[in-house]
Amino acid sequence: MKPLELAILLVISSAGAVLAADAPETPITLEQAKEIGRTKSRFLQVTKGNSQSLHAVPKANLAFFQQSVRPLLTRSCIACHGPEKSEGRLRVDGLNPDLLTGPDVERWREVYNVLSNSEMPPDDELDYALADADRGGIVDWLSDELNKASVLRRNQKEHSSFRRLTKYEYNYALQDLLGLPYSLANKLPPEATSEDGFKNSSELLQMSATQFETYREIGLKALKRATVSGERINPVTYVISMQKELDRAASGKDAKTFDKNDESYKKNRNRQHLLNRETGQGIQFSNAKSKPQPETAVGQTPAVSPVVLVLPRSNELKLNLDRFLPDEGIMRVRIRVGRSTMTPDEYASLRLIFSAHTSNNANFSNTISEHDIPVTASADDPEFIDFMIPLGDIQRNPFRKLTTTFPRRDEFLHIRNVSNARGGEEPLSLLIDHIEISAPFYEQWPPKTHTDIFVDNGNKNDEQIYGREVLTRFLRRVWRRPVTSQEVDQFMALFMKYRPGFSNFEDAMLEVLATALATPEFLYLTQKIDPRSADTRTPISDWELASRLSIFLWSSIPDDELLDVAAQGNLREPGVLKAQVKRMLADSRSQRFARNFVRQWLGLDGLDSVVHVTDSSLTEAMQEEPIAFFDDVLRRNGSIMDFIHSDFAIVNERLAAHYRIRGVYGPHFRRVAIEPQTNRGGLLTGAAILTMNSDGTDSHPLKRGVWMLERILHDPPPPPPPNVPEVDLTDPAILKMTLKERIADHRNKAACISCHSRIDPWGIAFENYDALGSYRTQIKNQPVDATSELFNKQTLAGMDGLKRYLLTDRQDQLARAMVHKLTAYALGRPLSFGDHADIDDLTAQFRKTDDRLGDLVHLIISSKIFNSK
Amino acid sequence: MNNKSALLNRRTFLHGTGVALALPWFETFAAGSPKRDDTPKRFVSVYHPDGVGLPLKSDPAWKDWSWFPQGGEKDFELTRVLDVLEPLRSDITIYSGLSHPAARKVHGHSNADQYLTGAATGGHGPYRNSISLDQAYAEHAGEFTRHSSLVMSTNGGVGGPRGAQTQSFNREGRPIPAMNKPKQIFDMLFLTNSKDAAARLARSKSALDLLIANTRSLGRQLSKHDQETLKQYLDSVRDTEVKLAKAQRWIDTPIPDVDTRNLHLDAEPKEARLYFQTMYELIYLAFLSDSTRVATFQLGRENGEGPHDLLSMAVGLGGAHGLTHAVKKPKGWENLGTYNRYQAEEFGRFAQRLKDTPEPTGNGNLLDNTFAMHGSASSSFHLSRNYPIISAGGKNLGFENGRYLKFGKGNEDNQAGAGIVSDVGWRGKIEAEELPLAQLFVTILQRLGIETDSFAGQTGTLSRV
Repeated sequence: MKPLELAILLVISSAGAVLAADAPETPITLEQAKEIGRTKSRFLQVTKGNSQSLHAVPKANLAFFQQSVRPLLTRSCIACHGPEKSEGRLRVDGLNPDLLTGPDVERWREVYNVLSNSEMPPDDELDYALADADRGGIVDWLSDELNKASVLRRNQKEHSSFRRLTKYEYNYALQDLLGLPYSLANKLPPEATSEDGFKNSSELLQMSATQFETYREIGLKALKRATVSGERINPVTYVISMQKELDRAASGKDAKTFDKNDESYKKNRNRQHLLNRETGQGIQFSNAKSKPQPETAVGQTPAVSPVVLVLPRSNELKLNLDRFLPDEGIMRVRIRVGRSTMTPDEYASLRLIFSAHTSNNANFSNTISEHDIPVTASADDPEFIDFMIPLGDIQRNPFRKLTTTFPRRDEFLHIRNVSNARGGEEPLSLLIDHIEISAPFYEQWPPKTHTDIFVDNGNKNDEQIYGREVLTRFLRRVWRRPVTSQEVDQFMALFMKYRPGFSNFEDAMLEVLATALATPEFLYLTQKIDPRSADTRTPISDWELASRLSIFLWSSIPDDELLDVAAQGNLREPGVLKAQVKRMLADSRSQRFARNFVRQWLGLDGLDSVVHVTDSSLTEAMQEEPIAFFDDVLRRNGSIMDFIHSDFAIVNERLAAHYRIRGVYGPHFRRVAIEPQTNRGGLLTGAAILTMNSDGTDSHPLKRGVWMLERILHDPPPPPPPNVPEVDLTDPAILKMTLKERIADHRNKAACISCHSRIDPWGIAFENYDALGSYRTQIKNQPVDATSELFNKQTLAGMDGLKRYLLTDRQDQLARAMVHKLTAYALGRPLSFGDHADIDDLTAQFRKTDDRLGDLVHLIISSKIFNSK
Repeated sequence: MNNKSALLNRRTFLHGTGVALALPWFETFAAGSPKRDDTPKRFVSVYHPDGVGLPLKSDPAWKDWSWFPQGGEKDFELTRVLDVLEPLRSDITIYSGLSHPAARKVHGHSNADQYLTGAATGGHGPYRNSISLDQAYAEHAGEFTRHSSLVMSTNGGVGGPRGAQTQSFNREGRPIPAMNKPKQIFDMLFLTNSKDAAARLARSKSALDLLIANTRSLGRQLSKHDQETLKQYLDSVRDTEVKLAKAQRWIDTPIPDVDTRNLHLDAEPKEARLYFQTMYELIYLAFLSDSTRVATFQLGRENGEGPHDLLSMAVGLGGAHGLTHAVKKPKGWENLGTYNRYQAEEFGRFAQRLKDTPEPTGNGNLLDNTFAMHGSASSSFHLSRNYPIISAGGKNLGFENGRYLKFGKGNEDNQAGAGIVSDVGWRGKIEAEELPLAQLFVTILQRLGIETDSFAGQTGTLSRV
């Protein structure tokens, strides 16, 4: 922006909050709003040292009580609840008006309930009746005081970052430790969610005997999968050569072959068929039956054949593999494949499905590939695509070992083309000439996962020496710290006890290693203290810092490099730390950070319980969008104000279609520029958020308002009081109202107004988005009314107005909320009043970096709060 | 934080995550707690595939061979299908109008999988199941007995997805293999324990010792606050120790002597009567010796084939599954009714045996403390609605018998889908309103002492039961 323009903007901005109202004809753009809002930052103006927190410890509002509440209570309540009579054993005059420190919070809550529900004073006691405004005054005061009291109590607890790993962290830790790329922890129960929405919050991560036993079971099972014993097992290998299939199919007596060059080929083109690309000979082909090849060496690659399987969009090849696949181990499915056309707008990918049909109506068919794998090579220069499937984890045909032939024993592998191909003269198909299926598949023997634990060296013959070596290495990674020889002794003693019960070293040692995987130092994030030191707020050790870092950025344990840096003792040197953080963010494991943080921050689990989205590819795209958006901002080191509004969207084809954005093809998410009339940009208009905050058929302004306050503004409303009157939907007068009118009607009740006036306006601003997050201008033929007024009289004109207001007047709050959320996640504990100064300090620094998300991660990591116990 | 609140927190946590895990060892070993009535509470479910005969009222066979009774709650009349249960009239309840909502439009052949789970297992495509009623109870009751449950079927194993050969599914929804050979079941229940188990136990004990030592040493390096958190881990290890000690006690406890006179351990399904009676007798002996308090038994598999079809030979008929297809042939309804009658007869014999045996604790008879269910997930031909269910016993659990309980609306005379022999039935529109069977399951769980208010996503209990 040029200096002159900026100067003008500054002048305008000094007009303050009336800006929008004064100049409706020439509204500023949202990008300009960002500039203006920034100039208002308190964090950017104050110098360090004299900053005073907005979020100081709350104090009781006794002045209002003395001035307004007490006289009303005296007039309307004391007669029955005072010195003369104390009905219900309640004396109002004896209650301590300080709810924050006084002993009478529970009695005040009762007073609040009966007043807000208009149960008291009794209707027939006309002398003591309370005017609506008076009642509202008391209810509002009580509501504020009760809320402050609950916040204060919550904050008075001591919080610690010492905690158990979450289910997902444990899973990643085990995967990374053992080198197993698939889920291992499905058996663990799901985690509860904190008030902040976080699953990694120390208070909630409990332990039980059942859970403890599950850890032991999972640990041993995973170790057995990572290691091997005995001689190399010969894999079962199937090879499907399209050349041979064509030879066989075309030589049949009634083979109906066709020619690619005939006019009639059009009829056959869109159904899967075998085709000799040189001669043009073709034949329909959808099922193949394959027997394992004896002695076929895995991985032999025949020359590319002109004979291919042509697999058009949404077609699949169904391979009958009979009953020979082993029970356990990795099945590698290797497919040589290319695209028939290279049009950039179209994509085609492969998916694997596994099925069996054991008798009539007894069948299953499950997708077994974790993701569809896009095919990018041309058919003239095809590529190999490999799927690795853990056979022990997928649904198998339970009858495969029967000696009789019924129920049927065979198992089927389906290879499916998932694509957006549009057809036409040269439709995009996938051309496959060679498939090889092999199980159990090992890249090498013994596999790397095995030799990572049981290193191949000269000490193998001495079980005492070798056992100590194995344990020392393993325990260091499991505990993320150096291991003492006394500690190794303990485990060696266990090994010696076990050894006679096993025929070989490895099997006995695996049981010992499984015990190590059940130790608290693997399952928990520790922060040890020096027992001689009284100060609890001391720095954590370099080792503990390494674990905190990897849990934050990778949701997992440190790798060897990070441990080595910790061992050298210079992890805290700014240059070293920064380099490690950069390295970790560049590693693919950091995608877990974006995924887990965003899911918890925004509460995306809510989408799992939504039933009104019937298209699963849309649900998936909705779910993915905010994660991809966050990831984009993080990688670019962009401003978090982009979360409120951006002039781009991060979408894939499915979501772009939902948003009516043209020209986006393919399943991957990418950045596209959007126009204002798209009515998107930022996180607030994401379909996931709008959809999960709906009631299944229409928008739900209350849910959306609560979501805004909790997730984005970090100003959670108090929980609803008990016995709130329900909206009476049998009342014809209410049925006739629009949703907004109904809300207004509900809000005008004394019991509801104090909370709802703070929540509803935020949600009403979202009214242009329906239950699926689609933009709308009409509801049941009435124009959408998305204009609302905040309790501070600020008008929000729909989503645009909401964004404008947030960006011009609430930037500090947004930035501080972001710092708060990210720090709470990074520490794995709730923040309390004691942390406010640190958070303010971090926010001030963060704002000075132009609110850049990548910088915030670095700031948090080098902050005092992150480096302390 | 003191001990008491730590315990409360854990329970709250388990409850909050939807994992209703029982923590019974606290109860078992809680010193000084008042002595409770320790009469076992038992649950058994018998499943038969293929449903029952449901002729139209206009059909001459209706009066005799319609499965459901005729008449009202107390004054119902049993037809010839169930009149074998007349002597037990005051000990049984018959239900109509119940089914699992997720399966109402799924072909009956796919539905044995979900009878006790209520899961949306569907008819094709991806498959997923959830915990079955018996296992939800066994998680609790299993703590008191040598075996947490006894899972049996005529065909054995797990079967295939949508072709279950077991009624029992664990917390992850995985099938629990059913045993089908009387000899094996007897050996498992009443012969010596394996050496393997003892060795595994010994290993676990050593591992726990190490973990406790390791945890203590870590605790010394933590702040007071963090020590409290770690204590929960230590408690979990200790609880596991207690469980191991209990397992060890079972290994050391002599296996009960049982009266084997009524057992024919070599019986096979083709000797159906003998086989049935032996399988029921095994459940009876397991209950009597308190070896387990939970049992399931699946007669055959949906869609026939294998041992299933041998069962109907006991009453001189051909393949059991074929009977449902042949109801419109001469004597068709009668044949199917005769087969169902024989199933009811054997169930009745089992119930009578429980009734004739005094409860060892002196609290009534075995049947009074047992809820025994018998039913199928289809009524008429392939129709997954209006499950035909009988229950027996459970007086001391709070069940009031001698009743025919009709639930739902619009099908009081059980004519919806009656008389069909084509797939129009199960594909057809749902006209009558039925209640979720899972609500009966909630009632059952509550009376067995499990604190829960929902099962398979259905909340609430059935009134009148």
